[in-house]
Amino acid sequence: MSTTRHHINRQRRRQARETRPAAPAGRPQGTPVRTGGRGTTAVLTPVGAGTADPPAAGDEKAAPARSRRPVVLVLLCALTVLLGGFAGWAHAEAEGLRSEPARSNTALTDLARTSEIKGQVAKAVDRLFSYDHADPGALDEAARDLLTGKAVDQHRDLLADVRARADEQKAVITTTVTESAVERIDGDRARVLVYADQSSVATTGKKAATDEKSRTDGAAAQDEGVYAAAMLAVDVVHRDGRWLVSTLDTFGR
Amino acid sequence: MKRAVRLLGVGRWRPLPALALALALVAVGFAAWAGQDWYRAAHDEQAAYAAQRDAALSAGEQAVQNLNTLDHRELKRGLDLWESSTTGELHDQLASGRDEFTAQVKEAKTVSTARVLSGAVTELDDRAGRARVLVALRVTVEAADGAKSDKDSRMLGELTRTDGRWKLSALGQAPVGGTSTG
Repeated sequence: MSTTRHHINRQRRRQARETRPAAPAGRPQGTPVRTGGRGTTAVLTPVGAGTADPPAAGDEKAAPARSRRPVVLVLLCALTVLLGGFAGWAHAEAEGLRSEPARSNTALTDLARTSEIKGQVAKAVDRLFSYDHADPGALDEAARDLLTGKAVDQHRDLLADVRARADEQKAVITTTVTESAVERIDGDRARVLVYADQSSVATTGKKAATDEKSRTDGAAAQDEGVYAAAMLAVDVVHRDGRWLVSTLDTFGR
Repeated sequence: MKRAVRLLGVGRWRPLPALALALALVAVGFAAWAGQDWYRAAHDEQAAYAAQRDAALSAGEQAVQNLNTLDHRELKRGLDLWESSTTGELHDQLASGRDEFTAQVKEAKTVSTARVLSGAVTELDDRAGRARVLVALRVTVEAADGAKSDKDSRMLGELTRTDGRWKLSALGQAPVGGTSTG
């Protein structure tokens, strides 16, 4: 009698120690294996069964149930880490693809914007490099309308000589863009390569002068020097729905 | 979540497995989202078009530079490069005029070096494999007596894609003083 009571007490103490770590995962799957559906009475089962050497017997029985839980947990954690790793990697790949310079440049891929820029730049260059000695205000107005930032000074420097000479010769200089192509569109900034012809008609003096930004090719000579070939790259920025010229690049000439 | 786990766990709330399960589900969600995001980025049609544009431009700039670079001391190498940069009619022209040209340059003893100042694609037909480029070029010619002169050229080039590579099929200078070609 006393041995049984003693035993039960021992058993309870042991159970109390073990319940916390063992119980959470052991119940759902563990119990059927052990006692075939007696679930909640598991606490008492060892009492009736184990008489002589309870600690060893109890441990052996609990072992498979307890080890299964960590396995499931470990698998879940591994899955989480793997999926998380994949997600991070795929995201990095996608970002890498998107940040390729080819994609950030929407020249030609955005046809509407490309032709809008081409059209506005062609008109701007026509106005900015044409000059009529009889109407010098038109050039200043064009500069005010179409230029911003660095281009203001660049334009003044480029045109200073031309103006002086045109005034002296009472000339009319007309610039016409013949070809243009958008190199790059990056959001509200773009760069356009422009080929333009400049014709100069002097009402006094004999011959048209070529301004410093024009390079007279062999081909230009066939029209008796009246036409000059020019090429330049123009940086534009989008502001208030219009494209303004921010840099004029005449390739160091 | 809490209720569901309780039902499964036969009346007992076990935080650790539940947390692990929740994290795993979140990871599944992230993985699915990132995976399809990646797939879409990799199969973006616009991006493929942009890549073709850049490929055509760099091939065009290189070819135009090649065709304006020639050293009388290394004629064979230079002219081989001309032929490998071109295709179609332009290639045939260069190949047929090669001997005559070799004789001329040998006599003149010039060294031409070209540098691309700027370039841009005006048109690109991705399907047909045709493109049109503008290339602003500066050519430095060194004469036999060592005198150097710079000349800028406004080049117009047409490219054709052959076997996945863009090659020049026509090249000329933009006309001056003529009618505008747009």
